[in-house]
Amino acid sequence: MLGRFFSILGSGAVGFSFVTILDRLPLVHRTKREDRDDRDADRPGDGADDCPGAEPCGAVALALQIHEAVPDQPPAQSADEDREECQDPRENWWRGRGHAGRRSRVGSHAQSVRAQRGPADIVSACRHTGEVVDGTTDRTARRSILHVDMDAFYASVELLRRPELRGRPVIVGGSGLRGVVAAASYEARAYGIRSAMPSVRARRLCPHAVFLPGDHAHYGEVSSRVMNIFRSFTHLVEPLSLDEAFLDVSGARRLQGDAVTIANRIRGRVADEEGLPCSVGVATTKFLAKLASQRAKPRPAMTGPVPGVGVMVIRPGTELDFLHPLPVDALWGVGPATHERLTRLGVDTVGDLAALPLDAAIAALGEASGRHLHALANAVDDRAVVPDQQAKSVSHEETFASDIHDPEHLEREAVRQADAVSRRLRKNDKQGRTISLKVRFPDFRTITRSITLDQPTDSGRVIAHEAKRLLASVDTSPGVRLLGVGVAGLGVEGARQLQFGDIDDGETVWDDAERAVDEIRDRFGSGSIGPATLAVGGELRVKRQGDQQWGPDDGPGTDTTQT
Amino acid sequence: MKFRCEREQLVEALGTAGRAVSSRGGSLPVLAGLRLELAGNQLTVTGSDLDLTISAQIEVAGDADGVAVIPSKLVADVVRAMEPGAVQVTVAEGDAEIAAGRSDFTLRTIPAEEFPQIAGAEGDAVTLDAEQFADALKQVVPAASSDDSRPILTGVLLAAEPAGLRLVATDSYRLAVRDLPGTTVLDEGQQVLVPSRALSELARLLSAGGAVTLRLGEREASFDVDGVVLTTRLIEGDFPNYRGLIPESHPNSLTINRSELLDAVRRVRLLAQESTPVRLSMSPDGLELIAMTQDVGQAHEALDAAYDGDELTVAFNPDYLLNGIDVSAGDEIRLETVDALKPAVLRTVGDDDFLYLLMPVRVS
Repeated sequence: MLGRFFSILGSGAVGFSFVTILDRLPLVHRTKREDRDDRDADRPGDGADDCPGAEPCGAVALALQIHEAVPDQPPAQSADEDREECQDPRENWWRGRGHAGRRSRVGSHAQSVRAQRGPADIVSACRHTGEVVDGTTDRTARRSILHVDMDAFYASVELLRRPELRGRPVIVGGSGLRGVVAAASYEARAYGIRSAMPSVRARRLCPHAVFLPGDHAHYGEVSSRVMNIFRSFTHLVEPLSLDEAFLDVSGARRLQGDAVTIANRIRGRVADEEGLPCSVGVATTKFLAKLASQRAKPRPAMTGPVPGVGVMVIRPGTELDFLHPLPVDALWGVGPATHERLTRLGVDTVGDLAALPLDAAIAALGEASGRHLHALANAVDDRAVVPDQQAKSVSHEETFASDIHDPEHLEREAVRQADAVSRRLRKNDKQGRTISLKVRFPDFRTITRSITLDQPTDSGRVIAHEAKRLLASVDTSPGVRLLGVGVAGLGVEGARQLQFGDIDDGETVWDDAERAVDEIRDRFGSGSIGPATLAVGGELRVKRQGDQQWGPDDGPGTDTTQT
Repeated sequence: MKFRCEREQLVEALGTAGRAVSSRGGSLPVLAGLRLELAGNQLTVTGSDLDLTISAQIEVAGDADGVAVIPSKLVADVVRAMEPGAVQVTVAEGDAEIAAGRSDFTLRTIPAEEFPQIAGAEGDAVTLDAEQFADALKQVVPAASSDDSRPILTGVLLAAEPAGLRLVATDSYRLAVRDLPGTTVLDEGQQVLVPSRALSELARLLSAGGAVTLRLGEREASFDVDGVVLTTRLIEGDFPNYRGLIPESHPNSLTINRSELLDAVRRVRLLAQESTPVRLSMSPDGLELIAMTQDVGQAHEALDAAYDGDELTVAFNPDYLLNGIDVSAGDEIRLETVDALKPAVLRTVGDDDFLYLLMPVRVS
């Protein structure tokens, strides 16, 4: 009797159960950017031109998105690990300013870093000396922000496990035709290899490089230990991704010494406890701290990496001296379009923009963007370091090794991702109301479809059902290159409106079932149990976080777990 | 086609029939129009979206019979904008001329032959008291789902019970059941599933009182109210077995003044934001309502109530709870509960004709 009720209320349920491996907060990623990528992708010959077949700029396979209030802010960093560190001059040939689209966005970011190697006199470099810095005169008025950035994080972590590879060019990322470089050791960078570069191109630049597949779960573990080290200095830690974070140490100075001392102690502890190198930028604002940390990085060279200063400080009072000579696209939020508009106004450097009357900046760039960039150009960035940024959405997506045409196969992929998303939601005690589906076609045209439910959910069964309905509304006959499933509108799990379908002699059947599956997976691995739909040919193909984050490997079943 | 009539009459007929016209634009362009048919002095205005069809009939001064389809929104706006008084409508060669006083409008018509023929429901006509039926609809229809992905739940079940007609709706979070004792519409054991949208429209038509004549066929249902005929396609499929959901016994029972509870929930709900629930803490001392939203604040309100049972706190979605209290009749209502996870029943004290079953919100 009740069974009948179930079948109706839970219509479309497949044999289900669930997943993840989440770990901790993944990568910061901005939706706005994505939108623009999508538009760019529509332009013929753009985006894909210098990376045929490769997922442009970091196939961010999954991202816990944090929507920032600031418009059009460049990536704090996404999957393409510390891309702006690559400072090998040989990169310039392909990273010209004139490029439109994604590439140049990355390019402009990198240029900003290059440009930072400006007048050295205004920047204090301190290596384990603590000799300089930090406004002693007005330490109460000024904040001390640290930006800590792990050096070639994924590659460094891999080297700890495979010390025999030390000194060799090591690349972490997708090795398949559509893979991208997630991280490259400094030895690899000397060959011009950098994050977000198509793996195919990386191989061509350095055929003897060692390619390692990413192990997202492991990086997540290491990252959370590193973040805990940061938190032992201040509770104001804002992770931007697995490998970088902002720290506000203003309140810690009295107890722990000035910001530089803290920065050096952090570097020391991360090196001692995890064996990993990192670079720290110290400044009065987040924006400047981030620029500074990039300047503290090691540099690749054919003769071996040149160590960086490790800790770079922009002294209070010297911010403008540092900032103004930089090219204007060093500012967060100046992408190719904005840059072009500014160039037409004769604005080349940050100083030019700062000198522009505010009204003129607003007229040229719009109200929000104009105000924001003008403020940044004047080193005004009062954004606080916010610990525990709440994720706004959870999504998984995957670029397939070859385009998928079969509707049933696509449905299976949608179920697989719904399964992974739901597990991650439950792991984080989150529920969301808006289910979205992202489809990228072979011509890079990308669409998103979403539906908002009347009740928030963390159920893989529900998410899969909605994702399949959304998929049915999309014409997939041209084939599908990438498929993604996400849940947004997140709230804290805890208050859950029960449905009649939930009751069966007092048990909330599906909830309990999905949680039981979570437990089974925690104990026996994510491939131990999963939606029946995903069992193909005696194998259970479930998606785990980080799988194929940097593009698919070639050949089927790379993420297959034997049942 | 040519006729004259009072502007008010025509405005009302166009407005009534126009409510069946889909604003979203269906597959058939002709459905964006209203079909006007004149036979003698009878003008019939029909609007349809294929699922729902509404025909309004009015007396006019007919001059020449005929049929025309005119864009729905435009014709209604034009007639409404006219000076009060007589309006003359003349349709010839694909143009409809609408004239009143010194105003004169000409609208392009849509070929009338494309307008689908909507069959009325077959079946025996049964006449019900409009007010009583409207009352029942008001209690049940809001509990139907608006989620098109679960079509069955967007309908209201009309079922013949031994004692009379029963109306049932659920969106899987709550369930409303209303009996109309002594009303025989269907053969015993028979039931139909009527789209809730059609019944909301019907409820509007019924507000004038009088009588409503029902015809429940195999595929359609028709409702005839004072010259307006509303025909709707029925939803096919089996309605969930709602009887199994209603707990047979309730250890806990709270009896409380309905309007006091209604007002209190409305107040407390202000602090139940971001889909947090309202908690009902019940004890022999009475009832306490609690709402709290993290980083916003909290609200408490104590109410006198007679409680028989174990101390218990149950949380509900405030909107669902309010709706149940609101549509229950009478001065006193009874909330029957089993525990914090099982459905609760809301009834009017001394009246077994209406029942509102409500799933709690599970609070961790």
